[in-house]
Amino acid sequence: MTAAASPLRRVLDALPITVFVLLFIYLSVNSNSFLSLPTLELILKQAVPTVLVSLGLATVIIAGGDDVVSGGIDLSIPATAIICAAIVADQLTNREATLIWGLVLAFGAAGVIGVVNAGLVVWVRMTPLLATLATSVAVVGVTKVITESRRIGVTDPTIVFIRDGQIAGIAAGVVLTAIVALAFWHLVHRTRWGMNLQATGGSRDAAQISGIATNRFVVQSFLLAAFTGWIACTFVLARGSGSSPGSEENLLLEMVLATFLGAAFSPRRVVTVWGAVLGAVLVSALSVGFISIGVNVFWTGCIKGALILLVVASAAAGRAQ
Amino acid sequence: MNYTTKLLAALAMSVSVAGMAAADGHANLEGKTIGVAVVGTQHFWDREAFNGAVDTVKELGGTVVPVDGGRDNQVHADNHDILLNQGVDAVISILGDGAVEPKFEALKNAGIPVFTVDHQSPHAVNNTTSDNYYMGTTIGRYMADAIGGEGKVAVFNAFEGALRICGIRTGLWKYVLQDYPGIEIIQPELAEEFANAPEDARKKTLDLLSQYPEGTLDAIHVGCWDQPAIGIVQALEEAGRTDVLVTALDGGPDTLEIMAEDGSPFVANVAQQPNLIGSTAARNVAAHFAGETLLPQTFVDVFPVNGQAEAKAAYKELGYGSLD
Repeated sequence: MTAAASPLRRVLDALPITVFVLLFIYLSVNSNSFLSLPTLELILKQAVPTVLVSLGLATVIIAGGDDVVSGGIDLSIPATAIICAAIVADQLTNREATLIWGLVLAFGAAGVIGVVNAGLVVWVRMTPLLATLATSVAVVGVTKVITESRRIGVTDPTIVFIRDGQIAGIAAGVVLTAIVALAFWHLVHRTRWGMNLQATGGSRDAAQISGIATNRFVVQSFLLAAFTGWIACTFVLARGSGSSPGSEENLLLEMVLATFLGAAFSPRRVVTVWGAVLGAVLVSALSVGFISIGVNVFWTGCIKGALILLVVASAAAGRAQ
Repeated sequence: MNYTTKLLAALAMSVSVAGMAAADGHANLEGKTIGVAVVGTQHFWDREAFNGAVDTVKELGGTVVPVDGGRDNQVHADNHDILLNQGVDAVISILGDGAVEPKFEALKNAGIPVFTVDHQSPHAVNNTTSDNYYMGTTIGRYMADAIGGEGKVAVFNAFEGALRICGIRTGLWKYVLQDYPGIEIIQPELAEEFANAPEDARKKTLDLLSQYPEGTLDAIHVGCWDQPAIGIVQALEEAGRTDVLVTALDGGPDTLEIMAEDGSPFVANVAQQPNLIGSTAARNVAAHFAGETLLPQTFVDVFPVNGQAEAKAAYKELGYGSLD
């Protein structure tokens, strides 16, 4: 038998959704074009990199638990995406290498980042928040060394196709991202491996008693997160027609908001793959909506920050109840 | 003719040239919705160019859809998709790197004319910009003179390959220095960050000073703008190395104030008129809709500023107030 949720818990549960619904009503009323198919397509296209890195963060949180401090979190995924983008752009433009070779090198870099994160968390026993923050700072530094803090333009036809091409009448980037999201959903929510991953994050002790090698799943979650950073790099390159320094900051903000916002929309208020995807799309919709009605970009950042606080505080208060 | 008189004459001429686009009275923007996209509004130059464009569109009867990239080139580029989606009649795009090119192309293909500011593009009807050629050569001469025609010079040069205007300014600065064989540009060149330029330049300058002790570095130049120069001067003052001279480009009020201080190491600059540039771009949009044929580029005059006295004069004449 479970105790009925307290009134405070019910209010906290409903708060993020209520705020978002009100925001969307406000945007729909104030922008003639917000509720239209072209805007939906624009929202989905702009959501692509955020969706991909949010898949990685969702996987780490599912494996490590949703406590922001002691649970699973990986703040280095956007930095991984940006360094991979820089490596590929550098290889394509400055060294005249092939896209495949650039992606191979970037895959190696992402693998190193994943191993370092996993090592710091599982073996050194650092809190994931600090470990991945430190990794992110280091990775951004290495990225600046690779790019010399300069933009590197890319005109590779595959990257251009991801940017401008269509598959079955839908933007290629959106279709490819949907395929990756489906694969992640299947892996995390429909396989035995995924069930064990969820068990690890749900209760580490219980999972260990059940014979699950929990450390192995935490390690694998960080490797998968780095993998999503690697996948995201081609979409980052496509979106910006090259590698631009400084792109990781906005991506980090949107990734954290999207992933925890997704949890607020799930029936059990837990982080899920589809929740992360929905969260990323909603965050993109907010960005497009705010810009469309002329909200100052600084207010947009402020609102996003406040929403992160709201969804994380709601989750924390819910656990405390 | 003294510096102030020359400055006033040039100002009057540049204002009249800029106004020619809409001078015939029938060029207006009534009934038109104009998207104005700016890469950021944190810095004086960007903000003034943006304000100039927005105010002039309104003055000419148009409706403005403003979008601000928050000093993030990617967000700035993405904002053009929103303007395309909103079906504006024309777009004025201020700054931005190569990420905006596909967006310009999409706007052009949708029949929306693009007018750029400080960004040459094959997809734009017109680019309004300062006389970058004059800026590059003048600052080269001023810097060479300031260090007596010889010495070691470090350069912050992050954007020479990414932005054509920076390619022109820094390229011509280097071209001038070819005639000064005694001047050596320290390699590798430095690259400043776009978003946090003053603080980033301060740190990099402190590193540079530790590598080049007193007497081994003569000047630091910023190749395309002057926000990093704020941090460079801070670092020189922190390290007690104000013997190292600083030169840069843009000449906003913040850097002119630094130049006007007694004993400032910041000795030369070239001041632009960002508000007039933005305003001119808006008038070019009106001229385009009035059926006039525009040249690919509209150049707005710049004002070389050499030393403390000229910094004070330029500050006053450009309408920033008085430093006396």
